[in-house]
Amino acid sequence: MSRQLHLNAFLMEAGHHEAAWRLPEADPGASFDLGHYVRLAQLAEAATFDSLFLADGPVAQGTGEFRTPGQLEPLTLLTALAGVTERIGLIATASTTYNDPYNLARKFASVDHVSGGRAGWNIVTSATEQEAANFGLADRPAHSARYERAEEFLQVALKLWDSWSDDHFLGDKAGGRWGDPAELRAIDHVGKHFRVAGPLNVPRPPQGYPLLVQAGASEEGKAFAGTYAEAIFVAHQTLELAQAFYSDIKARAAAAGRNPDHVVVLPGIVPIIGSTEREAIALAQQLDDLRIPAFGLRMLAGVLEVPESQLELDAPLSPAITGRTSREGFDSRANLIIELAVRENLTVRQILGRLGGGRGHNVVVGTPEQIVEVIECWFHHGGADGFNVMGAALPSGLETFIEQVVPILRAKGLFREEYAGTTLREHYGLPKPANQYARVGAAAAG
Amino acid sequence: MPQSRKPRTLSLNAFLHDTGHHEASWRHADSSVERVGDVTWIQEIAKKAEAAKLDAVFLADSPSFWGGGHRPHNQFEPITLLTALAAVTERIGLIATASTTFYEPYNLARLFASLDNISGGRAGWNIVTTFNEGAAHNFGLTGVPSNEERYGRADEFVNVVDRLWDSWEDDAIVADRASGVFLDTDKVHPIDHVGRYLRVKGPFNAPRSPQGRPVHVQAGSSNEGRAFAARHAEAIFTAHQTLEDAQAFYADIKSRASQLGRNADHVLVLPGISPFIGDTPAEAEELYRHFNSLTVPEYGIRQLETMAGVSLRHLELDEAVPLDVFGAAGDVLNNDRSRKQVVANIVQRDRPTLRELLHRLAGGRGHNVVHGTPTQIADTIQEWFEGGGADGFNVMPPLYPQLLDAFTEKVVPILQDRGLFRTEYEGSTLREHYGLPRPESVYAQREQALA
Repeated sequence: MSRQLHLNAFLMEAGHHEAAWRLPEADPGASFDLGHYVRLAQLAEAATFDSLFLADGPVAQGTGEFRTPGQLEPLTLLTALAGVTERIGLIATASTTYNDPYNLARKFASVDHVSGGRAGWNIVTSATEQEAANFGLADRPAHSARYERAEEFLQVALKLWDSWSDDHFLGDKAGGRWGDPAELRAIDHVGKHFRVAGPLNVPRPPQGYPLLVQAGASEEGKAFAGTYAEAIFVAHQTLELAQAFYSDIKARAAAAGRNPDHVVVLPGIVPIIGSTEREAIALAQQLDDLRIPAFGLRMLAGVLEVPESQLELDAPLSPAITGRTSREGFDSRANLIIELAVRENLTVRQILGRLGGGRGHNVVVGTPEQIVEVIECWFHHGGADGFNVMGAALPSGLETFIEQVVPILRAKGLFREEYAGTTLREHYGLPKPANQYARVGAAAAG
Repeated sequence: MPQSRKPRTLSLNAFLHDTGHHEASWRHADSSVERVGDVTWIQEIAKKAEAAKLDAVFLADSPSFWGGGHRPHNQFEPITLLTALAAVTERIGLIATASTTFYEPYNLARLFASLDNISGGRAGWNIVTTFNEGAAHNFGLTGVPSNEERYGRADEFVNVVDRLWDSWEDDAIVADRASGVFLDTDKVHPIDHVGRYLRVKGPFNAPRSPQGRPVHVQAGSSNEGRAFAARHAEAIFTAHQTLEDAQAFYADIKSRASQLGRNADHVLVLPGISPFIGDTPAEAEELYRHFNSLTVPEYGIRQLETMAGVSLRHLELDEAVPLDVFGAAGDVLNNDRSRKQVVANIVQRDRPTLRELLHRLAGGRGHNVVHGTPTQIADTIQEWFEGGGADGFNVMPPLYPQLLDAFTEKVVPILQDRGLFRTEYEGSTLREHYGLPRPESVYAQREQALA
């Protein structure tokens, strides 16, 4: 079978565009409305998307004055969505900095069981000072320390998921033996950040491990992704940059002894679709007119880690900002914004316009055919294995994509007509990982 | 004119526990042991409990592995599991246990607020401090923190969570498309908590949930536990073997709550009851004996050792348990470890052999295990309810679903005929089922006080 696209529906309240909730047809209460997410999940499943995805941070994002500062907690929401869907993968973000591995490994194992093998974990380290302040820390841990903890956290989680063999269950009523104790083991992890005895109290997840997803393209992020990630969400503004990232990640995976096909790279795309180019531009303009510059300015200052007073709306970014090469927080996203601003010589006001739709993800305005052209080009030229589809307004942006773009992709043989598998790993073409504790003899025999 | 008061009625929960509360239930010929890991099976049970108009389903929990091969020990994470149950039910309350020792308050507050939102106001949090070693070892600790430390943190933890839940006033969301204003930021409050155990800035990242705050439930009847319950609990799960002990506990909790200025009716006392139901007394007793004949003593001894924190390896199965083996366990109103006290009390009162004691505990780990006809079970419930021992019960069927069915099909109708239990849900939230008010945000109260 020829290589096909993977499509993930990135769900976000009334839409990814920061002002989407102000559109006349939008539900401004979408961020905390289960019904909104149920509708989106069912739409995406009917269109045979690989998965849906919920971003998250344990913090009120911004002040909330001009946009919702949060959504429903993602693991509970995913479980609720598992109940109203059957095949689509369910990916949620959770932080390795502000969780304990036992609690989190257990939750993802539960979601994987409840959903019949459809869970995915977007592993993040949580970038902001505001998150740290909700967890008793005066300062957030440094970027490198967060990734060091993340790596150990993941290793603990993998051990916990492997702490039950797939065949632990005996159910021997006569002998009074429910499970085989030899097939359950303590993990006795002792490391720099964690000491965890185990075993887990949930059987091995149907997928072995939930799908391991990563987002964040800093040096540490890429090193982590190359070693562990099975799917990567990433933001790129140009095909050239996407290609550079794609080949870098695939090479890192190969260097780590992995099959590069088992690392699925999914750049974000914010499609703003019209039946004519003019109509699409008008829709983009409608959204842009609803933006409140004060909101964007605050978010931009946060990502760049500078006071708002250093950002002048009608001037380009100052050399002090563009010259800075590393930050403790959203390092890769800040560099993306600076690169974009310098390359196109944008004023701060223009930058805000470019970021309003997708916070640095690629906003593509055009007809369905034009959207397909971009997708095909990136897919065939080493920029993407698929896309993280980010409706500017939801549900309308997803509906339009499904009604007008997906049929063209299918006609070209680029996207599935039906689900072939039932688990998220199967949708992404990934194997079920072997249990690290499997006995050597058993592995050789099996 | 005096307000006419609605007659007091029972609150009844179904306490879910894999194949049933009896530790050997999975070995019963009719058990559903093959389905304990199947969420649809648990969903079916929740639907049955809802069809019988029970107040809530409840999930106990510890973040640790507690099995050893002799009974089912897969425990889905309870908050996500309740979310899956929320999807297939409409009215029944959903109560999950979560530990203040092994959680961060910001994370836990979000999980329960989200469950409350998703379920339309049906969430309850059974607040525990977790004293098992196995859990401590899963969270980097070499041992369990002291009672004082655990409850000190728990107190602070609950205050932080309540403030997070309150941090958006009920009318904080403006969502005015025209002006682009989403939140009235004057109605969103950072909590700025700095305490001995926790520092949490806030504000929360979600609106107040339908119930304002999910219902506070507490279990654990030690001295520290009772003091904590009187301050925070709106429903209390407790284990008593005799009506006399239940009465002493009930009176103590209600008076403590009153002394703290709380309405004693807003603290429900719900002892556990595990009923073996038969059409005749002999049939019920035979059922009870049959379940006990399926127990594995090695398993029971290990459970009892963990529960009481003592070693029992030196005891003979068929000799009387020495009186001193549980040491000074205290009494119902003065003890450091309530379940150990319950067991010590059985030993003092009834002088069982170790095997008999294990059988006494096999059904409900110290909860009241009763056997009888539907009428006898209903009589016991009524006696405790009207005799100042209980506001209702945490019903612990020995075998799911069969002995839940027996309870809902045979005992519940008797209670309904006697006017002791609802025939239809009147409310839609757990607070409404329990007769509890929806608390106002502390921040709204503060503003009113200033005005």
